[in-house]
Amino acid sequence: MLAIDVKDLRKDFRVQKNREGLSGALKDLFKREYREVRAVKDISFQIPQGEICGYIGENGAGKSTTIKMLTGILVPTAGSLKVNGYVPYKDREKFVNGIGVVFGQRSQLWWDIGVIESFQLLRKVYRVSEQDFKKRLDNLVERLQLGDLLNRPVRKLSLGQRMRCELVASLLHNPSILFLDEPTIGLDIVVKTEIRDFLMQMNKEEGTTILLTTHDLQDIEALCSRVIMLDDGQIIYDGGLDELKTRWSKGREIQFQFAAQMKLARLQELTQGLAVDWSMENEVTAKLFVPHEVSVSEAMARVVSGADIRDIKIFETNTDEIVRGIYQSGSADIAKKEVASS
Amino acid sequence: MRYAVLFWEYIKNYAKTRLTYRADFWIEVASDLLFQFVNLIFILVVFQHTPSLGGWSELEVVFVYGFFMIPYGLFSTFFGIWNFSERYIVKGEMDRVLTRPAHSLFQVLFENIDPPSMVGSIVGAGIMAYCWTQMGLPFHLTDLLLMLVLVVGATLIYGGLYTALNAVSFYSDAPTGIVPLMYNIQNYGRYPVNIYNKLIRFVLTWLLPFAFVGVIPASYFLEKKSDDLSQLALLTPVMGLIVFGLGLAFWNHGVKKYRGAGS
Amino acid sequence: MMSAYLDFIRIRFLMMLAYRVNYYSGIIIYAINIGAYYFLWQAIYGEQESLAGFTVPQMTTYIAVSWMARAFYFNNLDREIANEIRDGSVAVQLIRPYNYLFVKMMQGFGEGLFRLLLFMVPGLLIVCLIFPVQLPADPVVWLLYLVMLLFSFLINSQINILTGLFAFFVENNEGMMRMKRVMVDLFSGVVVPIAFFPGWLKSTMEWLPFQAITYLPSSVFTGRTPLGEAGGVLGLQVFWFLLLLLPIWLTWRAARKRLFVQGG
Repeated sequence: MLAIDVKDLRKDFRVQKNREGLSGALKDLFKREYREVRAVKDISFQIPQGEICGYIGENGAGKSTTIKMLTGILVPTAGSLKVNGYVPYKDREKFVNGIGVVFGQRSQLWWDIGVIESFQLLRKVYRVSEQDFKKRLDNLVERLQLGDLLNRPVRKLSLGQRMRCELVASLLHNPSILFLDEPTIGLDIVVKTEIRDFLMQMNKEEGTTILLTTHDLQDIEALCSRVIMLDDGQIIYDGGLDELKTRWSKGREIQFQFAAQMKLARLQELTQGLAVDWSMENEVTAKLFVPHEVSVSEAMARVVSGADIRDIKIFETNTDEIVRGIYQSGSADIAKKEVASS
Repeated sequence: MRYAVLFWEYIKNYAKTRLTYRADFWIEVASDLLFQFVNLIFILVVFQHTPSLGGWSELEVVFVYGFFMIPYGLFSTFFGIWNFSERYIVKGEMDRVLTRPAHSLFQVLFENIDPPSMVGSIVGAGIMAYCWTQMGLPFHLTDLLLMLVLVVGATLIYGGLYTALNAVSFYSDAPTGIVPLMYNIQNYGRYPVNIYNKLIRFVLTWLLPFAFVGVIPASYFLEKKSDDLSQLALLTPVMGLIVFGLGLAFWNHGVKKYRGAGS
Repeated sequence: MMSAYLDFIRIRFLMMLAYRVNYYSGIIIYAINIGAYYFLWQAIYGEQESLAGFTVPQMTTYIAVSWMARAFYFNNLDREIANEIRDGSVAVQLIRPYNYLFVKMMQGFGEGLFRLLLFMVPGLLIVCLIFPVQLPADPVVWLLYLVMLLFSFLINSQINILTGLFAFFVENNEGMMRMKRVMVDLFSGVVVPIAFFPGWLKSTMEWLPFQAITYLPSSVFTGRTPLGEAGGVLGLQVFWFLLLLLPIWLTWRAARKRLFVQGG
């Protein structure tokens, strides 16, 4: 069964045009002009139950708007969407019982009172029975190691502690889909890892579907089997993370450490005829860039045969670089072409 | 029923928060009362210069004011969402509210519950009781029951109007400034509406029915006047339901237009 | 540096222009306010020709001009400051190279200027058409009144700033701000001229800054206070303006200390 089914989803915002200067502002006071901005442009995707899907894109690409439509906060302009069997904005109150939402930048806990009080209140809001609540809470507290934090007021918690509490708050009613909007923003590496491990485990054990937006691609690499990439309101990639890498990475980098000093000209001579690129790191090390079209073994063989090598390292282009590359290259066009050709 | 349970939970949370800030509780009560007292001064000052206001005596006008304080206190307790636009729309806390399985308006109202305002209602009842005895008005037990109905009606009118005004924020992406400015208009329902010209009277009775939170229901207990406002008094609960219903409908419609904060 | 402060006026002015609903609702509300008080006072006067030295036409003029003046000097600086203190953004303001309170004052002035030009001027014209308002013929009175209006704004803003700063010391100063608003409206003489107050209250008012906001300038404008005594009124305004600087400075100092010690 599909957890999320989105078809031709569109969201337009009416934005007022601000005319410039004093006279413009005066005109605006009496007659205002508006302009439609399409934040999400007829996107379609489906997420089966139990999948962890990363939703990435630059700021303003339409990620948050999509998430807000999926969680019933915003009403879409056009298109159809079904989450967990509901149309989110129509049966909002029933629908939200089955989802959990965490906004990394915004707290859903009461600021001045102990964390446990917030949980108790949420229990009533979500109508969770006392027994289920206790079982669930104990379990979550143990897994996220919240133990002694529960009685502290939220304002006395560190960001990492707060974030873990937010996660618990969103999971108390045992939702089958979890939406996370920048869940690891501003956290240190230890807490990030903890949260990732927790999410991974929960997904495995309970089959919770997770959709998360993030700017931290390590979140994606650690968690997601699937990535949806958004640019300017359109999906430019939807598929596995590995496929993303192979499709957009342009090649590999091989670092050689030589036994003796090596000249750039000599290296170029060795690989003559191959479309590769050399760069010297220092007198004894050099990097060789090998595009996918060129066989790595052939390039290596040539270098090995002509130089005394002490060490070799092969670098795969990392996701960060790939994604940066896509963002920078004005993406959409290129990406679409590639999708079409693939 | 479910909302009664939720309401109780929120009250408990309020109490827990407030126990940490006890001094503020009393500051709020004191300032609330002083606020009412200052309004009362106006009436007292005016009656230094005239024996009657449009045929109403000083005691009667003070009586109306006392009555007004009761629904006003209840309203401030349950509908005190003075900073709705800034907090929920501009800062986007509405996002959070909308991801919870309870009606959005009630969540917002419960989160802003303000019991200290209830003290105003008690003082108002005291003022009214004082005027009641001073004027030697007859008193029946049924008056208490009727009073309850009128007060609930008046509170609903207030609540409905403010709900609708706050819902304007869903449609406008800039601060509307309506709520603080409305503050002034509410005052006029406390004076005999027959002193105003037709237009203002019409506005205060039927469009922004503030007359129904003060002078109209209160007149039921007073001696009949020539224009006999008290005929309308029993309409108060009906108006309450209508106005609150409209306010709620406007809110529900507004929520669909909510744009979210930021991007 | 000064040009930076002037820019705060300009930006706030433009911002006000952008709040369209705010503008229209304001016009309606002020119209209702003036109308309602006009009729309220008609009822209070009843058959009587003059009360507390105010004739009926004088009273009408007083109401109209006082409400219009209020449109200019009124601002929500107290609320703005309190909100910035509560959400902690005041700390960011403090590290900027300008005087926070002065910036607030400038923003308030931008708002006032907006209302003066787009609210008061058209508003007064309409009011003059509907109600029997008598405007002074002497241009000196007009000029003097404008200067006094500026001080009305300054004194009212000072009181607002002071109220707003209290958010540093109490968790919730909402009640205080509400109370201040009513007190300013009542004691400044917008809703009742101070001449109507009973003796003891009147003499108390003489020791408070509120009357310098509306009552005294409006009395000059309506001609109740002769031009010869107008200098004294202006002097009193200047006096209050200077005197109020002191508690603001003290509160601000205490507030900053508190901020640095407790980190907000």
